[in-house]
Amino acid sequence: MQVSIKWLKDYIDIDISAEELAERLTMVGVPVENVIRADAGLDKVVTGRIEKLTPHPDSDHMLVCQMNVGAGELLQIVTGAPNVKEGQIVPVALVGANLPCGKKISKGKLRGVVSNGMLCSADELNLDVEEVERGIYILPDDTPIGVPAAGELGLDDAVLEFELTANRADCFSVFGLLNEVSIVTGKPFNLPAITVDEDDARDAADMIKIGIDAPDLCSRFSARMLTEVKLGPSPAWMQQCLTGAGIRSINNVVDVTNFVMVELGQPMHAYDYDQIVGHSLTARKAIAGEQLHTLDDSNRLAKGGELVIADGEKAAGLAGVMGGFETEITDKTTTVVLEAANFNPASIRRTSRAVGLHSESSGRFERGVDINKTILALDRAAQLLQQMGACKVVRGIVDNHPVKKAPTSIDFTVEAINNRLGTNLPAADMIGILKKIGGAITAVDDKTYNIKVPSERGDITIVEDLSEEVARIYGYDRIESTLPFGRTVQGHQTPAQDFVDRIRYVLTRLGLNEELSFAFTNPTTFDKLNVPSDSDLRQAVPIKNPLNDEYPLIRTTLLSGVLENVARNFSRKNEDVRLFEAAPVFRPKALPIVEQPIETLKLAGAISGRREPKSWSQAAAEVDFYDLKGIVEELFERLSIKKYSVERGEHFAMHPGKTAVFKKGKEVLITFGELHPKVAEAFELTKKVFVFEADVETLMKYASKSFRCEALPKYPSITRDLALLVDYDTAAGDVEKVIVKNGGKNFDGVMLFDVYAGKNIADGKKSLAFTIKFQAIDRTLTDAEADEAFDRIVAAVEKDCNAQLRS
Amino acid sequence: MEEKILSIRRAAREAVSSDATNLKELDAVRVRFLGKKGELTQLLRGMNQLSAEERPKVGKLVNEARAEIESLIADKTAELKSKELADKLATESIDITLPGRHAHAGRLHPLTLTLNRVKEIFLQMGYTVEDGPEVETDYYNFEALNLPKDHPARDMQDSFYITDDILLRSQTSPVQARTMERHKNNEPIRMIAPGRVYRRDDYDASHSPMFTQVEGLVIDKGITFGDLKGTLEYFLKQMFGEKARMRLRPSFFPFTEPSAEVDVSCVMCGGHGTDCKVCRGSGWLEILGAGSVHPDVLSMSGYDPSVVSGFAFGMGIERIAMLKYGVDDLRLFYDNDVRFLNQF
Repeated sequence: MQVSIKWLKDYIDIDISAEELAERLTMVGVPVENVIRADAGLDKVVTGRIEKLTPHPDSDHMLVCQMNVGAGELLQIVTGAPNVKEGQIVPVALVGANLPCGKKISKGKLRGVVSNGMLCSADELNLDVEEVERGIYILPDDTPIGVPAAGELGLDDAVLEFELTANRADCFSVFGLLNEVSIVTGKPFNLPAITVDEDDARDAADMIKIGIDAPDLCSRFSARMLTEVKLGPSPAWMQQCLTGAGIRSINNVVDVTNFVMVELGQPMHAYDYDQIVGHSLTARKAIAGEQLHTLDDSNRLAKGGELVIADGEKAAGLAGVMGGFETEITDKTTTVVLEAANFNPASIRRTSRAVGLHSESSGRFERGVDINKTILALDRAAQLLQQMGACKVVRGIVDNHPVKKAPTSIDFTVEAINNRLGTNLPAADMIGILKKIGGAITAVDDKTYNIKVPSERGDITIVEDLSEEVARIYGYDRIESTLPFGRTVQGHQTPAQDFVDRIRYVLTRLGLNEELSFAFTNPTTFDKLNVPSDSDLRQAVPIKNPLNDEYPLIRTTLLSGVLENVARNFSRKNEDVRLFEAAPVFRPKALPIVEQPIETLKLAGAISGRREPKSWSQAAAEVDFYDLKGIVEELFERLSIKKYSVERGEHFAMHPGKTAVFKKGKEVLITFGELHPKVAEAFELTKKVFVFEADVETLMKYASKSFRCEALPKYPSITRDLALLVDYDTAAGDVEKVIVKNGGKNFDGVMLFDVYAGKNIADGKKSLAFTIKFQAIDRTLTDAEADEAFDRIVAAVEKDCNAQLRS
Repeated sequence: MEEKILSIRRAAREAVSSDATNLKELDAVRVRFLGKKGELTQLLRGMNQLSAEERPKVGKLVNEARAEIESLIADKTAELKSKELADKLATESIDITLPGRHAHAGRLHPLTLTLNRVKEIFLQMGYTVEDGPEVETDYYNFEALNLPKDHPARDMQDSFYITDDILLRSQTSPVQARTMERHKNNEPIRMIAPGRVYRRDDYDASHSPMFTQVEGLVIDKGITFGDLKGTLEYFLKQMFGEKARMRLRPSFFPFTEPSAEVDVSCVMCGGHGTDCKVCRGSGWLEILGAGSVHPDVLSMSGYDPSVVSGFAFGMGIERIAMLKYGVDDLRLFYDNDVRFLNQF
């Protein structure tokens, strides 16, 4: 909806600026998105008379003008325009002007002659006129001198562009807006008197039959007949109003229907009476497959159920959305049927979406049009056309009105509204406010009032709606801010939310950045990730109306997002990348989807690049499997997940020899390892990347909720180093297990501190060096006790691990 | 004898102050005078040749001399030690302008940081943090919020549909209805529901098909529109500082009545900049939508609107984070460029 200030001013006195009015309307819930000023950029353009014109000494096409701009002194301006003469009054852009065409006027010299401004052409002022003559725009001789040019050019108007909310259908009309303008300015408004001289004595009801076969979709259909119609342009003032409303002028009949629609909010349609077969119009539901020849000359196939207006032969148009081709007003039209009807909003909305056509008319019907405006609109249209001498009006209105709507009547108490708002308005004040929306208010008893809501305010049906009216008119800013009191609630997060927070804090402390990626994915991702063809992960939930081809599915794994983020960083030369994300993935219960999918919270991440940030003093060592393993172990430590097994793992996206899983029994807690070279290649990752993936719920299940710290030992411990020669294939973890198992009661931990193969070590062998710690909690351990345990360990590893003690 | 002692004292003073330039030389001086064969020691050895009357007198003089020399040496030792330390420290000087060594420091995502702050503020006020599914039914996403099919307000949000009745939630509001349904007997609710939401918006500097919202809902007896104002005012001051001002504009949401768009005074210019790029000179920034809960929304989820009332609000976390951190392109949040992430 948009409307010019001038149109409003026809009915109400507005003495504040367009911007001020826009602000006030916005603050009562009639939001103005933009104020478009016709005079934008014209604030330093004034009218001036050319007092003297002399040739430029150094140019054969330029002229030097001495301009009277009402400043006393004459202003010298050089122009190149061929059409200027002494005595003419023209628009003059003064120094500092910033013209709508983009030109900025500054003081300067043109071929050595000082010029203090510019004489303007219509183009430079963005004037919407047909130029009679090339060059400067010449104003009438009686134009005052030294006044703002905008007023003289008819550009002192502004257009309010509204961004109305879906409930305020009434404001899609000048009359509706007038009420709001009156509320914010305190001035009364005067609506035009609407009278028609029915100067064609025939009876409209004898000429046209109006039928309604679908009263659920068309609750009222009123029509008027106009004869001896003389088609032509509409008057300039009406064209200006329509331009301000953003509507193109067509001809007087169409312009009037549009004008009345904007003025009253009632969409209308005009039919060429002579083209209506059988002189009858019926609102009915379209039959599936029915042909519709619409006024854009396209043949549409009805889906069935759309509301159409049909003549005696066939559907003549989509009701409220687009008229029919055959019955359109043309140069040959002499008799017109004017339609003013009330259509079902949902039906219009469906139809206009289906055909992809949103018009001023369909937009109004979708929001809901006042059922009581049809007669008024027909009379107003007839009146306007008659005033133009464009037609005769046939006696009577054919009004088919099968569904009557009782006026909304609401009982309310001042107390209820005050309680809802937290205000304490006296009854007289509140009644005063509510009277401003129109409609009669009467006292029912000493507490209860009744309001008959005006029919254009279809959005007001219950007391709560009245409370909003009171609040917005009283002013939201005047309602006192308070805090709720009464029963309280124990504030908390859910355990899962707390757990994810813990994961986030631990992983960031371990040097990983949290990433957030889209939940959408693409089928090719599964190939890139090397997901087996029979894997459930390929069963992703499809989106019916995806944004684009890139994202037709909802993700089943976080890894793709993680790897895309790593790849994006690599492409931007960010070499050290450590990322993680905790987010849900979505697995359908069955395909095609009939139920909501299962949402599972997953954790995934990747590390790549330098172990330490690049520095002048540190070797640029790159992270490897064991850096990631350390991160995972530390994460588990911090989450209090204990006693898990470490096994060689399998994962489609990971290197088969460099993958590990941590497990509890058969349940996988986390899988991590080096990215499979095939996957790395698919994601164009040129450096080694190490990834991990876990299920958050499983982690949570095994994370101890309580944590108790251990007391520090009071007695000294004893350490023994154990250097072993083992077969190259022996897993260090297996040796460690044997050490732990044979450690005895004073065993207090083992740490691998060296792994070596190569020089001085036989082929097929490697050296492992452990530090083993012994500690008694109640006394100082003796060397003999430590030795005894140590020897037992040596014997065990020699036996179980084919190890030899190195000396 | 006295002469001799005096001359030793003189010689010792001279030696300590001039000969001894380091601790080693000073030790030589000590040996020369106080050592077993030192000059003063020698003198003491000759004492037995003195008369009984002279002995205490000379003895006293010798002790005085010894005390003086010991004290001289002690002072000199301290002086030389501190000089030596100073010399040593001077040679150990390093280039303190070389860059420090850093460890990889991980960061929480700026949207998580912002969301955490929002959660903190509401947890302080005794709210619970609720969540719900991201793939929702049409009922919870729309109908339970007083948005029946064909309601024109549905055009405000273009959603991603999975089937006609299942969609990616377009708002976190469905968690409202789900939470209300879990409560019985008009029990009070104070909750927020943060989470990812999805709309069919093109991905640009201020829109994203996936973004983060926080929904809030308070239900109890006697909750007023003024309570909503006070709560949001408190929130905005906590979030943007004590100077932040709030403005409510009447608006329309099907699930609230009255409804309001909530503006906060511009975080960049404080509401005073006519050329401010952030608020485009208006002085205000639209930050959330809110209102008193519509009675139909209460009754649809098992609350009796004649007994309780409530308010609800919803805000976009990206927008708040953009304002708080001066981020001018929303896409930075989902780009996950570590140069961006590392700044938080």
